[in-house]
Amino acid sequence: MSRSQSVNSLYRAMIGPVVTEPPVCVLRLVDITKTFPGVVAADSVSFDLRTGEVHALVGENGAGKSTLINIISGVLQPDAGRMLLHESAVRLSNPVEARNHGIVTVHQEAELFPTLSIAENMGLALGLPTGRFGLVDWKTVRNSSQATVDQTGEPIDVNTPADQLGVARRHMIQVAAAVTQKSRIVILDEPTSALSAAESDWLFSQIERLKTAGAGIIYISHRQDEIFRLADRITVLRDGKGVWTGAKSEIDGDRLIKWMVGRDQPAATITKTGVTNQPVGKSVTAERIETCGRPVSDKPRLQITGIADADGRVRNVTLGVAAGEVLGVYGLVGAGRTELAHCVFGLKRIIAGHVEIDGQQQMIRSPKDAVRAGIAYLPEDRLRQGICRGLSVRANCVLASLQRRTREVLAFAAPERTAANDVVRRLDIRLASIEQAVGGLSGGNQQKVVLGRWLLNEPKVLILDEPTRGVDVGSKLEIHRLLRSLADDGCAVLMISSELPEIMQHSDRIIVFCEGSVSGEYDPRQVSSADIAGAALPTAVPDLPKVSSSGATTSSVRAPDLKPDGSRRGSGRFGGEAGLGIVTLFLWLLLAAGSAGSSDILSGLTNLATYAPLWALLGLAAGCVIIAGGIDISIGSLVALSAVCCGRVLQIDAPDVIRIPLAVGIGILAGTAGGMINAAISLVGRVHPIVVTLGTMTVYRGLVIFMLGGRSLTGLPSNFTRIAVDPDTGFRGILVTSVIVLCIAAVWLQCTQSGRHLYAYGSSPAASRLAGVSQTRVWLTAFAAGGALAGLAGVLELSLNTQMQARLGAGWELQAIAIAVIGGVAITGGRGSVSGVVLAAILLRLVNSALVRWGVSGPKVDLVVGTLLLAAVLLDLVWRQRRQ
Amino acid sequence: MNITTNKQRLSLSHAPAVWIAGIVPWLLLIASMWIVATNARNPQYLWTVFAPWAEVGCLAVVMTPIIITGGIDLSVGSIVAVSGMTLGVLWHHAEWPIWMSAVATIAVGTLAGSLNGCLVVLGMSPLVATLATMAFFRGLSMAVSNAQQVDRFPEPFLDMAQLGGIPIQFWLLFVTIVLCFIIVHFSRFGRWCFAIGDNRTASRFAAVPVRRVEWLLYSASGLVCALVAISNAMKQDVVLPDAQSGVELSAIACVVIGGTLITGGRGGVLQTSAWQLFRTWTLV
Repeated sequence: MSRSQSVNSLYRAMIGPVVTEPPVCVLRLVDITKTFPGVVAADSVSFDLRTGEVHALVGENGAGKSTLINIISGVLQPDAGRMLLHESAVRLSNPVEARNHGIVTVHQEAELFPTLSIAENMGLALGLPTGRFGLVDWKTVRNSSQATVDQTGEPIDVNTPADQLGVARRHMIQVAAAVTQKSRIVILDEPTSALSAAESDWLFSQIERLKTAGAGIIYISHRQDEIFRLADRITVLRDGKGVWTGAKSEIDGDRLIKWMVGRDQPAATITKTGVTNQPVGKSVTAERIETCGRPVSDKPRLQITGIADADGRVRNVTLGVAAGEVLGVYGLVGAGRTELAHCVFGLKRIIAGHVEIDGQQQMIRSPKDAVRAGIAYLPEDRLRQGICRGLSVRANCVLASLQRRTREVLAFAAPERTAANDVVRRLDIRLASIEQAVGGLSGGNQQKVVLGRWLLNEPKVLILDEPTRGVDVGSKLEIHRLLRSLADDGCAVLMISSELPEIMQHSDRIIVFCEGSVSGEYDPRQVSSADIAGAALPTAVPDLPKVSSSGATTSSVRAPDLKPDGSRRGSGRFGGEAGLGIVTLFLWLLLAAGSAGSSDILSGLTNLATYAPLWALLGLAAGCVIIAGGIDISIGSLVALSAVCCGRVLQIDAPDVIRIPLAVGIGILAGTAGGMINAAISLVGRVHPIVVTLGTMTVYRGLVIFMLGGRSLTGLPSNFTRIAVDPDTGFRGILVTSVIVLCIAAVWLQCTQSGRHLYAYGSSPAASRLAGVSQTRVWLTAFAAGGALAGLAGVLELSLNTQMQARLGAGWELQAIAIAVIGGVAITGGRGSVSGVVLAAILLRLVNSALVRWGVSGPKVDLVVGTLLLAAVLLDLVWRQRRQ
Repeated sequence: MNITTNKQRLSLSHAPAVWIAGIVPWLLLIASMWIVATNARNPQYLWTVFAPWAEVGCLAVVMTPIIITGGIDLSVGSIVAVSGMTLGVLWHHAEWPIWMSAVATIAVGTLAGSLNGCLVVLGMSPLVATLATMAFFRGLSMAVSNAQQVDRFPEPFLDMAQLGGIPIQFWLLFVTIVLCFIIVHFSRFGRWCFAIGDNRTASRFAAVPVRRVEWLLYSASGLVCALVAISNAMKQDVVLPDAQSGVELSAIACVVIGGTLITGGRGGVLQTSAWQLFRTWTLV
């Protein structure tokens, strides 16, 4: 069965009737082992999943859960062990095969293709369905994804690019895409970590539906209330081994934690909690009350008065935190808590209000000012905003204190090492060496490094944003202890959290945020968590939605700032190209108006028809590679290489009928081969394409000089030079060929699987890996296409010029890239179109001829072209910033 | 960590192997120079042959921290050209004193660099920004000079071409290497560069003055470009509007093949310098 057929059958299966079967074992893992350098991530783990059950997988961070689900979903291949689907052995070599077996996975980090539409994102997750001629069936993709999104009750247009959605919605989309189809196995890794309570409830109802439909669900979560609510069976992993498997009824929360950590934890530190029901642990409560009873100074250490930001996410917030106090800030995702933190820390401009520390008003315009004032901020997104993955633990630890530590500018390793070791000891960070890269640590330890970074500054005010999100049980405990001890040392702590139990147990006072302002203040000893959850909901909605209500009310529960308007999309998509088109047309009209009669206009047009196609081909050659997330600087040399190959073949003694097609073919082939060599070196050597093509640019140029043997190439057969422009009939082969090629390229990029994969990989390599888009195939295709286009341009240029020199095409690579960029290809990959590139090529040619027409002398032309390019990128910048 | 390892690593921020790899080519170079090539025993010949490469070396060395921050500067060749033409035009056409022209040249180069810096700080991709300014500065250089070269600079200016028997380019290269080395590896500014290259957002959240660092780096690059232009004018007694075109790619090649990660976050000044010398040697 071909891939597209199986994908289509999957789509059909989604809308097929629900069949209830007796529980059978749908998935069985036997003695799976997976080793990474230095770590045994999975150590002969056995696991089974039945139809119609939720099997929870629990364990601390680094216990091997992610490895196991990556094996099941085909991202990783086990070193040893067997995997059976419906009792027949399978070997999944990539995520696409897993998908074709009905295995759907939602990974923990929301990996989407930011530049692509939501519809395409969902389509890529399932494999794009293809219709006639192998073209992508966009209608099916859009309709089915819109149907899925509508089910969640979110007012989202599926044509919106994914990067216009907030984190929570992006996650929601992924979860929705996975659970609303009829899959046999659904794997959910921390699906609720970014969802609100109502969205979580919607998810749970979907899980119930999947269960009755006979699917097997693997559920991973750090939240115990969810596990005990949803799971039928539980498997506990510890240090890569499966240590316990059994039904939910056979275990309780305390014993589960014992299994997870493998050491005796004080039972009350982690409590079985939920939104509706949580017996608060005794000893923690006691400890908290003890510390709360301590008199804190009346004067607040941090006083925020009437703060508001420009886009209305924070509205007139006033609050104070005393020294030694932990203030918990609760609210829905998007209620403005993080934005408040950003305002206080100088990451976001405030339009009203002020911040006082110890009674002194502070002017905070940048994080640097905030640090000087004694504020520290632990960001919510550890990977993106917290750690520098590739740098050592030492470099990460001292990063924030460099300003303070090295007053005399120079920095040396020894004192940094002392400081870092101090942090490691104080926070009990587990690592091999402080020179180790932070990326290799577990999530909890990474979080401690970021926290430790701020401790070195001895802050007066510590703001923590979701301090324990995605952190394992052990580290969570230590972070909470550290918070308390910091507060005891006189620090004012502001803890933002979406986990009610965390807020309830670890704060001295609770503030609830709703729609950008404080909606309530509570004493955790005298309030129930239901009250707090209630205060977080907007009161403006007439019928107050309950936390337990289903997903249909989600949209009204959400804070207003997270409503992206899908209709904005229309102007965004073609805005750039329309602008470019108008400018081009305007310039042409100007030229036509200034010309002396119709023959003049005509000659201008013929000139345009000769050179613009060439530059469009070159621009697209650069564009193809850039869209796929690469770059090719050897294009100029490739043009020369294919021209010289073509020319050499033309010099053989054979009839024109044979040698001309042969020469053209070999010329294009030379370009294609050159492009593929670039890609191959980059892929095999794991070297960035800029580096590779910098090298091959010189190599190809050397080859050209060698093949020319120091002479220029002349004496080409007249039948060949007729191809580009026929002097007798005036027929422009260059225009016809280019138009055909560009049309084919446009269809290829827009409507075929391989074309879309170029965009997908350029948009997000990480998401591509999970969606089974292979880098090797994408880059080979993109570089080969780029090379072929450059080769074609080389052959046409040879035909046009009737001779060539060794310097042909030198410096063209940058012009080609310039055309691509002006034409709207995103230099970071994943966005761009053929029409934009064509318009940009026409525009540049028009500018050139306009300057000649208006008598601008040679040297000044360069200046005008340069200024135009600069203006184009500046305009693009302004455009992008305004859209955001 | 015990005291001995501390001592061993006292001045080295990277694994020793990297440093040895950085030093060995230098030693090999000097040794083989004297053994193999008879030409290489004539210092005067060497200086002449190496001079253009010393200029590329300056640009490559100052480009290293830029690439460490994940940026790139494609406009260096054009800035050299536009500064050179500023010198020529101010002295020849505007008849400024040569030293004042030189100061103005340095100002123009730095200003050009800081324009790059501004664009990058405003949120433009460095590749795009400097691609655009490359075309712009080249055009400016062509336009102000009307594509004419300027030559016959005054004697005292040309006398500066040799300082202590060594061409000015090599003094410039030496100073650039030493300063960049200290700044990149032994200053908080250098630490910030690495952090920005690894994760720009996280650096901002850790109170690193990302914008100031980037702006300063590109301005410094412009400054060095102007100095290269002046030293070149001293040596060659001519400034050309299309000078150093394509040099940016050579400079980037030196940096990257020298082991600095093109995506940022890792690299070193000495590696760049070593590779630069190695490359020059193959041309003797």
